[in-house]
Amino acid sequence: MLALIIRRFVYTLPIAIGVTVVCFSLVHLAPGDPLNAVVGPDAPADVVETLKRAYGFDKPLPVQYAKWLYRALHGDLGRSIATGRPVMHEMSHAIGNSVALAVVAAVIGFGFGCLFGAIAGYAQGGFVDKVASFFGLLGVSLPHYWLGMVLVILFSVELGALPAIGIGPEGAAVWAWKKADWAHAILPAITLAVIPLGIVTRTVRAAVAEALNQEFVQALRAKGLQSRAVLRHVAKNVAPVCLAVMGIQFGYMLGGSILVETVFAWPGTGFLMNDAIFRRDIPLLQGVILVLAMFFVALNLVVDVLQTVIDPRIRRGSGG
Amino acid sequence: MVVRTVACPSRREVLVGGSALVSLSLPRLAEAQTPGVLRIGMTAADIPQMTGSPDNGFEGYRFTGYTIFDALINWDLSSADKASDIVPGLAESWAADPSDKTKWIFKLRRGVSFHDGSPFNADAVVWNYDKLINKDAPQFDARQVGLVGFRIPSIKTVRKVDDYTVAFGTGTPDAFVPYQVVYILMASPKQWETVGKDWAKFHEQPSGTGPFKVDKYVQRQRVELIPHKTYWDKKRVPKTERIVLLPLPEANSRTSALLSGQVDWIEQPLPDTVPQLKSAGMQIFSNGYPHVWPYHPSVLDNSPLRDIRVRKALNLAIDREGIVALMGGLALPARGHVLPDNPWFGKPTFELKHDPEQAKKLLAAAGYGPANPLKLKFAISASGSGQMLPLPMNEYIQQNLADIGVHLEFDVTEWQALLDRWRAGAKGDVNKGISAVNISYATQDPYSAFARFMRSTFHAPVGVNWGFYNDPEMDKLLDAAQLAFERTARDAALARVHEKMVNDAVMIWVVHDVGPRAMSAKVKGFVQAKNWFQDLTPVSMVG
Amino acid sequence: MTSPALDLGTAPAPLAHPVHGYRARVLRQLSRDPITIICATVLIAIFLSAIFANHLAPVDPYKTSMINRLKPVGYHGYWLGSDELGRDLMSRLLYGGRLSLLMGVAPVAAALLIGALLGVVAGFVGGAVNTLIMRTVDVFYAFPSVLLAIAISGSLGAGVTNAILSLTIVFIPPIARVSESVTTGVRNLDYVDAARASGAGAWSIMRVHVLRNVLEPIFVYATSLISVSIILASGLSFLGLGIVPPNPEWGLMLNTLRPAIYINPLVAALPGGAILVTSICFNLLTDGLRQAMDIRA
Repeated sequence: MLALIIRRFVYTLPIAIGVTVVCFSLVHLAPGDPLNAVVGPDAPADVVETLKRAYGFDKPLPVQYAKWLYRALHGDLGRSIATGRPVMHEMSHAIGNSVALAVVAAVIGFGFGCLFGAIAGYAQGGFVDKVASFFGLLGVSLPHYWLGMVLVILFSVELGALPAIGIGPEGAAVWAWKKADWAHAILPAITLAVIPLGIVTRTVRAAVAEALNQEFVQALRAKGLQSRAVLRHVAKNVAPVCLAVMGIQFGYMLGGSILVETVFAWPGTGFLMNDAIFRRDIPLLQGVILVLAMFFVALNLVVDVLQTVIDPRIRRGSGG
Repeated sequence: MVVRTVACPSRREVLVGGSALVSLSLPRLAEAQTPGVLRIGMTAADIPQMTGSPDNGFEGYRFTGYTIFDALINWDLSSADKASDIVPGLAESWAADPSDKTKWIFKLRRGVSFHDGSPFNADAVVWNYDKLINKDAPQFDARQVGLVGFRIPSIKTVRKVDDYTVAFGTGTPDAFVPYQVVYILMASPKQWETVGKDWAKFHEQPSGTGPFKVDKYVQRQRVELIPHKTYWDKKRVPKTERIVLLPLPEANSRTSALLSGQVDWIEQPLPDTVPQLKSAGMQIFSNGYPHVWPYHPSVLDNSPLRDIRVRKALNLAIDREGIVALMGGLALPARGHVLPDNPWFGKPTFELKHDPEQAKKLLAAAGYGPANPLKLKFAISASGSGQMLPLPMNEYIQQNLADIGVHLEFDVTEWQALLDRWRAGAKGDVNKGISAVNISYATQDPYSAFARFMRSTFHAPVGVNWGFYNDPEMDKLLDAAQLAFERTARDAALARVHEKMVNDAVMIWVVHDVGPRAMSAKVKGFVQAKNWFQDLTPVSMVG
Repeated sequence: MTSPALDLGTAPAPLAHPVHGYRARVLRQLSRDPITIICATVLIAIFLSAIFANHLAPVDPYKTSMINRLKPVGYHGYWLGSDELGRDLMSRLLYGGRLSLLMGVAPVAAALLIGALLGVVAGFVGGAVNTLIMRTVDVFYAFPSVLLAIAISGSLGAGVTNAILSLTIVFIPPIARVSESVTTGVRNLDYVDAARASGAGAWSIMRVHVLRNVLEPIFVYATSLISVSIILASGLSFLGLGIVPPNPEWGLMLNTLRPAIYINPLVAALPGGAILVTSICFNLLTDGLRQAMDIRA
């Protein structure tokens, strides 16, 4: 067991390094001057050159990469070109906000997803199954940012019941949220929860249906035995897959929330990234992508290990 | 005016009817409006820098520049009717030394303190200029140089004469110096020391002499300004209790926020949403200001636009009224580079109007026609500050030009990339095959309006004379204006410059923006000046 | 934005034993499923309408008309209304289908080719080659898909080719992983061992036994990605990173019509509806395929 965990961990290291390389190259692929964010459009070329040298953009790329990596390993992700603030500083607020949103969305998405999926799985083939499954289908087929806009029109503009944009007024941490903060979070969380809800519904439904269709379960039910035993069996079979999916979905929500955050002006990592892309704020962009990707790598690792621990039958086909 | 459609009534009725029921049961969770607090939705994606050198363009100056700080010279933002010019700020008077025009003496205002209590005096002025021009000063900040340094091209030295007198030295005599000084805001040296000599920390706890102080700042989310009760200009002590600035870069989010009552004032509503805003009881403000939306042509030998007849033809081919209609009435047709009521407009003889027949004749004279159609490629962007609605507008103009037999093609890039093309000049590799760039310009001061585009020496990489325009007579007119130290003489000289600019069709001008902003009916006292910047002090909230 | 099946690894399991008449049975099963039939029909209709847009569209989708902006559905001359520049929405939807479907199918097709190749080779050959290929794939898989798509598009810039390129890169890792996993599974099956024991060469084993059983699950998995691809592409256009105006594309239309929500909500919702219908059909079709292929021997 321990050996397995260690092996997984070791496999992850080269991936992590690869991620840093990709992360670095992606951003430098961009055409356009890296200093656009800080230099006024009129600035003459010699000012631009001076600034370039100050930021080290005149050195060859591998050198820049090495320097950047070295500093990153020491927790220094450089300074945002646009604001001059340290990237870590920019990110700390944004990550907190994104995590808060992801958590709320996860509760909604996973909660309802499990509910719908379980109902659909149990009521296999029936009308209830179709209805519950439809929610799942909708979840993965709807452009969720579009739904977000519609929700805003309905609930904010027409009904005036919920705020349209932004995070709560105090900017407080999740556990200190008051009613106003929750009001700000509901619409973006629902929008973000749409896709995980769809996926979890479909996953749970498939897993539940498969568990229920197994012969000995059918035998149990035929004998009229306590549904609690059946329930336990189903849960045991569904749990590993679901946990895996939920774990990954949580990672996606954190890393892929840019569209929702743009529509709702939610000051999270997605919003930050959007700004960084369009201002070509390279240090910030690199930092955000790196942190998010690393988090995802770590999450993948945890999920992998957990999955193997819980269900030894599942093997990743890594030919080893 | 644009003919509007009627929104599907049935859906609205259902919703309104239903909402009455629902809102009885749903508690109003939307952020309630506190009396006296004005909440503004900006187009910036972040709180603009509060160091005295704002980023995010002129919007930064508007909201965290002239609110928290003053310059030695400020803008007169009190009237919606006349062109906005400069007025004394922290300097009561200024003049060039008659015997040596490269020397300017500024007499500073007495009895002014920064928000942190420290006194404003000549030392503070020198300190603030040193942050931009003196590389050895501890407060020197390369970032601020990048942001605002280019606005003071002539100022070489700043010296204290006595506690309330400062002397500026320019390399060559330049009458435009006051228009440069107006952009440099005074930050408190004492505060900079107090926060640990760190500009990033200063941004979080700024201190200036302006009518507003910063009370609360949440990074990237909001900044709250409160009145500076002992502001030196008693007429401009703010009337609101508090102003909250919120970054809302997404136009639809801004509109939703205003309609749902979450903010009271938004910048740049989308023209399409204006009818809806009006019917919801919002006030829409707009006014001409020194902005112009042109095509900046290349006059190099390989460009078809080097021929003045072609440039004039293009100017005559554009249906400006149609563009105004496209913008829902929120634009002004251009008659030149600056607004017609501006003292620098003069009396040009070339009239910018919609005359396709004349355009075709000019093209024919230049050798183009059905047998030899003119093919052009312009660089445009899909969005950008001041660009208004670039894509619909460009497509409309494309049609206008097609009507006179010109094939116009676009190279659409992203805003920052377009600015790179602009800096690279028409000779740059990235601009191969491009005959013009479509970038909106601020024409607020003589350098920004004229000199930077038309001085023969200001082409890339030194400046933004993108098209390599080179006319010795224009250089002479610019020199004359630059040496006209007295205001009426200077205005007259600049009028000569403008007349030649229009008569030579140096650019292809389309419209001026009118800076639309939408506010709830509760906002009172706002006067939209003909300026990129606005005065927030007379604004108050009622009800 | 998340990708539904990327991490489920739920390609239908390859058959433990070769079944005679398998394909025929699958097809029969499919033809009995009404939902699959309906979806397939709708999709064919959508594809055909896009291909023959130039015959079906009433007017030129690029033709603007300032006085006819944002007309409602059913307005004279504008069957489905007009957009913010006065262009006929029906024509834009038809032509838009071309780019939207292209953006949906092309990246998945390209990723299928490349990813399947990588995955099958890695799964079949095993050992160091497998490690090399799969670790490299894992590096890209380590990024959340939206993040990767936006980062690549943000770097390369807007445009159809760049968007297709970026989405292809996003989809190669999951397809490769699934391919590899499926191939490894097959490689270790009894009948393959038997073939190897009987001295058959690697290439013939690959061709006769492995590929035949592997391609179908991979293909089904890939088709489940198409709806994701469409939504992701529209998301890119929404952020200004994908298709550029004035080209019609459903996602871009959603973006540019957003202000119209306040004036003409139905018109503004139509492109979203088009995406929704197409996505639903692809998803249901894939579901049906999977179910049909899940025949226990």
